[in-house]
Amino acid sequence: MTSLARADDLAELIAPAPDRCAVTVDARSGTFAFDCAPGETLLYAGLAHGLTLPHECATGTCGTCRARVMSGEVDVAWEEAPGAAKLKRDKGDVLLCQTRALGDCVLRVPSDVLEKPVRHQIPAARHGVIENLRRLTSDVTHFEIALAEPMDFDAGQFVVVEAPGLQGARAYSMVNHGSGLDRIELVVKRKPGGGFGDWIAGPTAEGAKVEVFGPLGRATFHPDEDRDLLMIAGGSGIAGMMSILARAGEEDYFRTHKGYVFFGVRTLADGFYLEQFARSVDRGHGNLEVTLALSHENLGDVRHPEHGGVKLAYGFVHEVAAAAMAGRYDGVMAYVAGPPPMVDGAIRSLIIGGVGRAAIRYDKFG
Amino acid sequence: MGWTYLCDASDVAPDTLKLVDADGVRIVVANYGQGFRAMPPICPHMEEPLEESGVIANCVLTCTKHLWAWNLGTMEMDGGETEKPLKTYDLKEEDGRLLALVEEELTYDFDEEDDMDDDFFSKS
Repeated sequence: MTSLARADDLAELIAPAPDRCAVTVDARSGTFAFDCAPGETLLYAGLAHGLTLPHECATGTCGTCRARVMSGEVDVAWEEAPGAAKLKRDKGDVLLCQTRALGDCVLRVPSDVLEKPVRHQIPAARHGVIENLRRLTSDVTHFEIALAEPMDFDAGQFVVVEAPGLQGARAYSMVNHGSGLDRIELVVKRKPGGGFGDWIAGPTAEGAKVEVFGPLGRATFHPDEDRDLLMIAGGSGIAGMMSILARAGEEDYFRTHKGYVFFGVRTLADGFYLEQFARSVDRGHGNLEVTLALSHENLGDVRHPEHGGVKLAYGFVHEVAAAAMAGRYDGVMAYVAGPPPMVDGAIRSLIIGGVGRAAIRYDKFG
Repeated sequence: MGWTYLCDASDVAPDTLKLVDADGVRIVVANYGQGFRAMPPICPHMEEPLEESGVIANCVLTCTKHLWAWNLGTMEMDGGETEKPLKTYDLKEEDGRLLALVEEELTYDFDEEDDMDDDFFSKS
């Protein structure tokens, strides 16, 4: 091969194929470039390239991934996304998670961007198939997605799932964790008007093909950080906590560390994963406490009638946790997940309780 | 407008925030235990209403939405991911009454300056 031919080959490798768009990102920390396939959102393409573009929910809700299109044509999938409410559209502002490039484009992102995530895997898109749907309560369903390509992810991370015929994508935390896994376990709570929750509870979900993007999320657990663990979760927000508990169990982490789990549901009948909690408590060397907070049923401060390792309490989970943890926050790493008002309330009591911001981990989906 | 009455000092308990209307200008008054601050009613990050989203502990005001924080004693950004300073009105207390110097309403320019202009992106 001549050097000329090699140069040509190289040029072909470097230049984007005609069906890909070249995207330039001007961020506070420098200028970065990646290319984007048709149909791929700018956020996912950039993250899959390794860039730490600002984002939280990745599904149009939070507004964190806003950017300004300086040149080039783009297409916005979900104009009414809640996170887009405050955008200055006339200036070209968009949510990266809702926007696709129609040609080469230049973006400005008002944040620092790194070329590689510091601790986590670079996310990627994968095909998947929904399997093993299992109803846990009247409105909670556990399910699995068999992935076409295996994925590495940390305890506490989430993925974004797109289902056929449903507009937009939904973020779900994994109940499991690990390396090279070809199966992720998720849990969804059916909400009034919740498209995905209704769909997953319906007849067409089992075996359905979905698109999965991930892993995402920084609310992760790393045993080498050597902290006591405080977990406050409402409803399906418990998913990530289950992966953290599982990871901690593998390390026999509660032999040398304290753990406090507060799980909020409405009534006793709405509780789930209770066998797993009871088992974790059994193996927790007396250092793990799990409390099921019931917001709409007062059974007193007693043990769970079937799962004696689990305590019951009456009230909203962040208030139950605040009362129980007063004076015991020293040295904890706090994980919070659930409906936005619960997350806000929990963060408020953690800060008042003296927990530093670096010791509060949460990924806000809403 | 000049010095404008906000509220009585006793109206704002230590470590709390209060939203007041100062002759048509919405201002949040913060009592951080060692003094008071008067500021625009929103977080400079994503316009969250600070009287709801803000929490004060150990002189530090934190917006619970994304954990941006400022030390109300020094007015410095309190580390973490906080990227913008908090704006405040000059404030004085006279006979238990809190007054702010309101020449014009302080605002954060979310759309054109600070976060999106050329200075912001300069790579010095």
